Amino acid sequence: MGREQSQYVIVGGSAAGMAAAQAIREKDPTGTITVISEEPDAPYFRPLIPFLVSGKKQAHEMVLEGCGPYQAAGITVNTGSRAAALDANNHCIVLEDGTRLGYKKILLATGSRPYVPPDIEGADATGVFALRTLDDARRMAARIDQTEHAVMLGGGLLNLKAAFALLERGVKVTLVVYSPEVLSQLMDPEDATLIRKALDDAGLAIMTGVAAVGIQSDATGVTGVVLNNGRELASQMVCIGKGVRPNVEFLAGSGIRVTEGIEADRYTATNLTGVYTAGDVAVTHDPVAGTPIMTALWTNAVEMGRCAGQNMAGLKTAYCGTFGILNATQVANEPFVAMGIVHTKDGDYEIHRKAATGSYRKLVFDKNGDHLIGAVFVGDITNAGLYRYVIREKMATAAIKRQIIEHTLHYGHFSF
Amino acid sequence: MSQPKEIFVRTDRCVGCRSCINACAVEHSESKTLFGAVMQTPRPKSRVYVEWVAPDRKVPLVCRQCEEAPCMHACISGAIHRDDDGVVRTDSDKCIGCWTCVMVCPYGVIGRHLEEHKAYRCDRCPDRDVPACVSACPTGALIYQSVPAYAKTVRQNASHELVKAERG
Ligand SMILES: Cc1cc2nc3c(=O)[nH]c(=O)nc-3n(C[C@H](O)[C@H](O)[C@H](O)COP(=O)(O)OP(=O)(O)OC[C@H]3O[C@@H](n4cnc5c(N)ncnc54)[C@H](O)[C@@H]3O)c2cc1C
Ligand code: SF4
Ligand code: SF4
Repeated sequence: MGREQSQYVIVGGSAAGMAAAQAIREKDPTGTITVISEEPDAPYFRPLIPFLVSGKKQAHEMVLEGCGPYQAAGITVNTGSRAAALDANNHCIVLEDGTRLGYKKILLATGSRPYVPPDIEGADATGVFALRTLDDARRMAARIDQTEHAVMLGGGLLNLKAAFALLERGVKVTLVVYSPEVLSQLMDPEDATLIRKALDDAGLAIMTGVAAVGIQSDATGVTGVVLNNGRELASQMVCIGKGVRPNVEFLAGSGIRVTEGIEADRYTATNLTGVYTAGDVAVTHDPVAGTPIMTALWTNAVEMGRCAGQNMAGLKTAYCGTFGILNATQVANEPFVAMGIVHTKDGDYEIHRKAATGSYRKLVFDKNGDHLIGAVFVGDITNAGLYRYVIREKMATAAIKRQIIEHTLHYGHFSF
Repeated sequence: MSQPKEIFVRTDRCVGCRSCINACAVEHSESKTLFGAVMQTPRPKSRVYVEWVAPDRKVPLVCRQCEEAPCMHACISGAIHRDDDGVVRTDSDKCIGCWTCVMVCPYGVIGRHLEEHKAYRCDRCPDRDVPACVSACPTGALIYQSVPAYAKTVRQNASHELVKAERG
């Protein structure tokens, strides 16, 4: 097979990959940029796919190009094209069809895919989904007509979004959660009370402390879910939201250092020359704890992707790292933000909680009470960006601690 | 190309009269009149904020149109873009009200329109030469100028002060 050449190659055309392409183009107006993307669709805003299920948006309303910061001038995107191996010695990537694509700089931004626990029997039946791609969303939407009841396995944000999309389409939905409460990744159970109430009020059935052991199906696809408490739920659709795993298999034997994901240094570079990484697939560091971290967030993927793009285009730029938890959203009319360290059961922290009608907030300081390290806001998320800033910059909080605790912090407190 | 203008804030001049807030809400109302704005439901929203810092300082705040606009890069739906004039805009048709931008704006100047479930902030009053807040400010605490022009003003003011001080 032939050998082609591109100055910059980007594997993965989503948040991290396209942000990098854009950043490269801003710094280097002429270098050729080729994006290889396995999916058949042109790059799109992945977090919008639940709207395809609910019917509120169509696929063409989700495209990246021309939206927000993505102008994509002079960037070639090869969709439906999969990287099969990295031949770093010869500075080229081998595609599944055998084509070798040479690069001077390459970005590995292959993201992640849903994790389907192997102990759930029958998970390969028609009607079982793990919502990740636009294609998944299309298939899910197509099955709604024959679905009276959907069972969601996992109580994370993704499943909540999918659940609401289905509720909007008139499907009955039951959320099966193994943890003691929904959103256990984003907050402690007692901090989720308001959200839980909003979900209950919105008509979502939630079972906590139970897990699925098997999925039953016949020629029509899914017919039911068997739980570990012996119960069976008749159901025509199952959605598995049990976290994600990085797409790193194609790197086997390439010499790239892969631990849980691809290891990135402070400049988003991997251990091999000219090879960079960003997004869900990359291991970076938490600026507060200093520990290695992988996140599964669009916002982080873009930020890291931009940084990688700048480095690739020759502008040495340190990546400031990110919190593992950095979520804002609104479920069932309840806005919330969770950022930084929010799980406080097993640590020595100074915690301030305040509950009022319709709002709840928790502020986590280090054990000396000098630095804000995490925050959960439910209901009232005003000025959340400032709190993120205080956490991320590790600001000494003595002068503004009262404002932080009383939730009256505003930018005026920073200007002199 | 003419230099793009910015809204500068002279906190030493702000007396907290909230004229800017009212003017902004009126400008972003359907009728663009004070009476109409007061009658409109939901009430039109101001995109300027005047915060208070103890003991008696007032700080007017408005979108800074950040160069590496964190809100724009964070938006998960592509609703925020920078237009040809350098103004960072939220397209409310595309906004899904996820509040990610609220979570990352370090100035806290993105508002949430709860009835419509959309984010909003300063759009520099596209129909006007000078933004409504700036026109309305009675003390000159808000200034609409290009960066070099503003720097010159600041330098001139400083030298006036110096001269005054030297003359005693
Ligand atoms: C329904 C849903 C809602 C979400 N909501 C939010 C939210 O509200 N806020 C938030 O911050 N995040 C959200 N996320 C998470 C967010 O979408 C991801 O963190 C983000 O997409 C990660 O971007 P990425 O570029 O690292 O990787 P990905 O988006 O995973 O993209 C990687 C791309 O690389 C391709 N690829 C993989 N291997 C290869 C290969 N060998 N060759 C070629 N191509 C390959 C994949 O097919 C994929 O297209 C949501 C995700 C989903 C699914
Ligand atoms: S909204 Fe905030 S983050 Fe966005 S450009 Fe304005 S000041 Fe900057
Ligand atoms: S609230 Fe709207 S503008 Fe803000 S990040 Fe979400 S979709 Fe984008």
